[in-house]
Amino acid sequence: MAVINHEAELARAGANVTGWLSRVLFFTRRYPLGAVGAIIVGLFIFTAIFADFIAPVDPTSTNAKYSLAAPSSLYWLGADFMGRDMYSRIVHGARISLAVGVGAMSLGAVIGISVGLASGYLGGWFDLVVQRLLDIMQSLPLLVMAIVMAASLGPSLKNTIFAIAIPLVPTVARVVRSSTLSLREQPFVEAARAVGMGELRIAVRHVLPNTLAPLIVLATAQLGSAILVEASLSFLGLGIPEPHPSWGRMLSESAAEYVRTAPWLVIFPGVAISLTVFGTNLLGDALRDILDPRQHS
Amino acid sequence: MGSYLVRRFLLMVLTLFGMSILIFVMLRLVPGNIADILVDASGADPRDKARIARELGIDRPIAEQYVSWIGGLSRGDLGFAYVSERPAIEEIAPRIPISAKLAAMAVVISVVLGVPFGVISAVKQNSSLDYFLRVISLSGLSLPSFWLGLLVLMAAVHWFGTIPIFDSNSRGFWDEVGMLALPALTVGFRSSALIMRLTRSSMLEVLRQDYVRTARSKGASNASVNYDHALRNALLPVVTIIGIEAAFLVGGLIVTETVFNIPGVARFLVEAILWRDYPIVQNLVMLIAFVVVMVNFLVDMAYMALDPRIKFAD
Amino acid sequence: MRSRLALLAASCAAFMMAAPPAFAQKSGGTLRMSHRDNPPSASIHEESTISVNQPFMAVFNNLVFFDPKQKVNSPDHIVPELAESWSYNADNTQLTFKLRQGVKWHDGKPFTSADVKCTWDSLAGHAPEDKSIIRKNPRKLWYANLKEVKTNGDFEVTFVLGRPQPSFLTMLAGGYSPVYACHVPDRVMRSKPIGTGPFKMVDFKRNESIKLVKNPDYWNKGKPYLDAIEWKIVPNRSTRLLGFQSGEFDMTFDSDVTFPLLKDVKASKPDAVCEARPTNVSSNLLVNRDKEPFNNPDIRKAMVLALDLPAFNEILFQGHALYGAAMLPPPDGFWGMPKDMLPTLLGYSPDRKKSLAEAQELMKKAGYGPDKPLKIKVATRNIAIYRDPAVILIDQLKQIYIEGELDPIDTTVWYAKVQRGDYQVGMNLTGVGIDDPDVNFYENYFSTSDRNYSRYKNPEVDKLIDAQSAEQDREKRKKMVWQIEKILADDVARPIMNYNVGNTCWDPKVKGILLQVNSIYNGWRFDEAWLDK
Repeated sequence: MAVINHEAELARAGANVTGWLSRVLFFTRRYPLGAVGAIIVGLFIFTAIFADFIAPVDPTSTNAKYSLAAPSSLYWLGADFMGRDMYSRIVHGARISLAVGVGAMSLGAVIGISVGLASGYLGGWFDLVVQRLLDIMQSLPLLVMAIVMAASLGPSLKNTIFAIAIPLVPTVARVVRSSTLSLREQPFVEAARAVGMGELRIAVRHVLPNTLAPLIVLATAQLGSAILVEASLSFLGLGIPEPHPSWGRMLSESAAEYVRTAPWLVIFPGVAISLTVFGTNLLGDALRDILDPRQHS
Repeated sequence: MGSYLVRRFLLMVLTLFGMSILIFVMLRLVPGNIADILVDASGADPRDKARIARELGIDRPIAEQYVSWIGGLSRGDLGFAYVSERPAIEEIAPRIPISAKLAAMAVVISVVLGVPFGVISAVKQNSSLDYFLRVISLSGLSLPSFWLGLLVLMAAVHWFGTIPIFDSNSRGFWDEVGMLALPALTVGFRSSALIMRLTRSSMLEVLRQDYVRTARSKGASNASVNYDHALRNALLPVVTIIGIEAAFLVGGLIVTETVFNIPGVARFLVEAILWRDYPIVQNLVMLIAFVVVMVNFLVDMAYMALDPRIKFAD
Repeated sequence: MRSRLALLAASCAAFMMAAPPAFAQKSGGTLRMSHRDNPPSASIHEESTISVNQPFMAVFNNLVFFDPKQKVNSPDHIVPELAESWSYNADNTQLTFKLRQGVKWHDGKPFTSADVKCTWDSLAGHAPEDKSIIRKNPRKLWYANLKEVKTNGDFEVTFVLGRPQPSFLTMLAGGYSPVYACHVPDRVMRSKPIGTGPFKMVDFKRNESIKLVKNPDYWNKGKPYLDAIEWKIVPNRSTRLLGFQSGEFDMTFDSDVTFPLLKDVKASKPDAVCEARPTNVSSNLLVNRDKEPFNNPDIRKAMVLALDLPAFNEILFQGHALYGAAMLPPPDGFWGMPKDMLPTLLGYSPDRKKSLAEAQELMKKAGYGPDKPLKIKVATRNIAIYRDPAVILIDQLKQIYIEGELDPIDTTVWYAKVQRGDYQVGMNLTGVGIDDPDVNFYENYFSTSDRNYSRYKNPEVDKLIDAQSAEQDREKRKKMVWQIEKILADDVARPIMNYNVGNTCWDPKVKGILLQVNSIYNGWRFDEAWLDK
């Protein structure tokens, strides 16, 4: 075994890297897959925000002449059976996916953090009740829970976000709770308490920031699953309604009918979903390596 | 340990009990009930709804309906399905083996693909093969399974000119395997990606442990170290995830059974929700929750039995 | 007593002449069919969907039946089935049937006049709830004029009407009017129906399959030819069609092959026999005239003028759908107004540019414009055949400054919602079981009907509907029907975009299938079908 080369190890860990550009370069060299993921996610967010400028036409405008038109210079990715431009629809679909993904993830995180923090910090019967409630919620797989909720609420953007957010809550709450439990007894928290800081302030100012690393890792993973679950819900007709260009919806019903005659209707929305989720997964893996060193990948 | 078992068991019962209330109340908050669907969709006189509601007992107070459901459950009576008007058990039972077979095949596929590739990836860490396998496994987690299903169907049409249409009266074992192979592959691919990732990281963890280094320093061959010492220990968490994945496959089954038109329990759940067929939905949800909770329990037990280091205080 | 025996003889003669002369039918074999969804139940009287009629009509018989050898369902082509003959009394208020003797239900019990009475007492709502052989009743309206059913011995039955109604016999001839057995409870009829028809039901696996087998004791000797009919329920259309193309199925579900898919089916199965026919389902626009600002007739008129009917037709049917008013247009429809009358109606003018300009003017007059659009919700049922035209509608309304947002409504609440008038603008499909003015007008346009979704109330139209219903002179009645159609169109009662047309395909070895062109709900006895193997 070679003697440990401290200089090299430090460089490998990025200890001497300063300035944002060199940080980016370092990240790219150290985590090439993560960098690819970051680029994909960046592109996805950019597309979602500037969809109105990127898409050549209105994604809901129909045109009888171009029903099921094959990809061409006019319709890059072809047209669906109502003659709507697939490229424009996929570009606008990014907006829906982002809205649902980020919306569900943040809503889930906000509820999960509050519940987890309160549960870990207050302890006692409150903690007990919350733990049992989380047990109940976790006794159904994510998609099953989301399906039951979405079907109960009816198809709309708001309801879809809610239906996906709620099943995400338990994982967040559990992560926050366990970090809170260990942090509660830490010397710096004791110190804050000793100088007479209020419990709520301690929780928010000292405990929460220290749970951030595992939360960011979790959030990235959840963004990916939220996008996937939205696609599945919309595919089953329970998610985003027509005429909103949801990627999952584009793959359901009528698109599946044209598997043979117009395969582009099936291929492109699927590629869009897969690529986006793939990007978040790559990025998530890299973030976990950086922020959560106990878990090696 | 005995008291731990008892406690775990009681928690399980409590969880299932909570789930029963949750699903029961949630379903009744949904707008529209079976009488609305039956009457309105056929254009019948809205006054006919009262008779149907009375016949099915959905005009009774919610608490009373709940008690009669749970009372029935405890006697093994799942109640009557609203749409088919047959005992719910007769509707659910024949669908269970279909989904179970599909899930079992998917698990086998995922283990057969996931474990070896995970080991290879770990042993050859940071090689180009490792990168390639990691990208493949990540893509497995990124493809929506219904899309993968559609692609598989497209490929089947392209090469064979047809697709298998499910028939519950199969003509023997291989016929059945043939019918379920494509959907099982679709579901299994995703799980295999998960298992591969976990095998890899678990294997890496073990390879760094002292006893492995010791074995290596004592001159054991690479292969012997990798496969005799490391793999056996790395598999423990993998077994856990296989168990949990098996229970969570239900989610993947819902869309896959829809795409491949397989009349299993997972797709039946969605249909029953859309029809507001409460007895079916309630019992199916409880069945799924039971399987998940049970598998978690068994995995814990297995863990305890396999790993003598774990001791459960009270 | 005005006898109809002459007519009966004539139709019998037509029956003989139309019988296939060139080849003899072969017996045996199983017809394998695909089904699009799970039928809500097997009880035809309780449902209103082709998903029930197509598989289960073969289990039953009617009193009288639309001649299965005729392409057009018409009052002139009604043939006996369980009734052997029928006659009216002098003032046309009593319709008496002589029943066929020796007919047995599938469970072996004999068929008698009591069964007929039971069936129609239940349908007219005369039977007390515990005696009723149905649990819900979608067609109560059909029998509003039926006062009483009297039996005279085991094989004669008289329907007593409140007033003369020539359409009454027509309604008895449709697929929706099977005779049920008195002794079979409604629950059994929904899951394992017992009839007198050519096939017995042996198995109905929900979401999976339906199996019918030949009734060896069928009263019509020598029929049916098939040993069995097997249906597989395949909710995904592309899977169903692939199954047909690869020979897994002998025949597609009714009207299952849309025009964009027809090319594909023909390409991969060149010998497939495919027939296009109207389904007697219209796509139509519901405008809630009780709601602001749609109580303004100018806005309703502008909306109709803005509709680009050919665009709907091109996208959804590749131009094959039919244009018509309230009744299915001829030659497929029996009652609809002649083609040359159509352009005189509001919204059917061939000059699209002029109509659009006029519509824009009307909207401006009502205070809307490019800078001040009218924002609305377009409600529709959340299934593809409703949503697709709604998406096109929203796109077209943009031209007259209406910004529509689609409001897809779950099937569970859709009907209740439109019935309550809880919508602004709706995209709707209306299926008419029998091509008959009484069936259509009383349900969809009469002021007191629950299913007059657009809340159109016009005493003049109500009076005309009643008058045509009692009119015995066929030609006079047709003119009255056309007059009603014109008023409905000009008043924007329920603007019709088109009449849907679908393709049904079968393998050439399947013989004896005849699709009737003015209703998909009627011709499915399958007793003439056979396999040429």
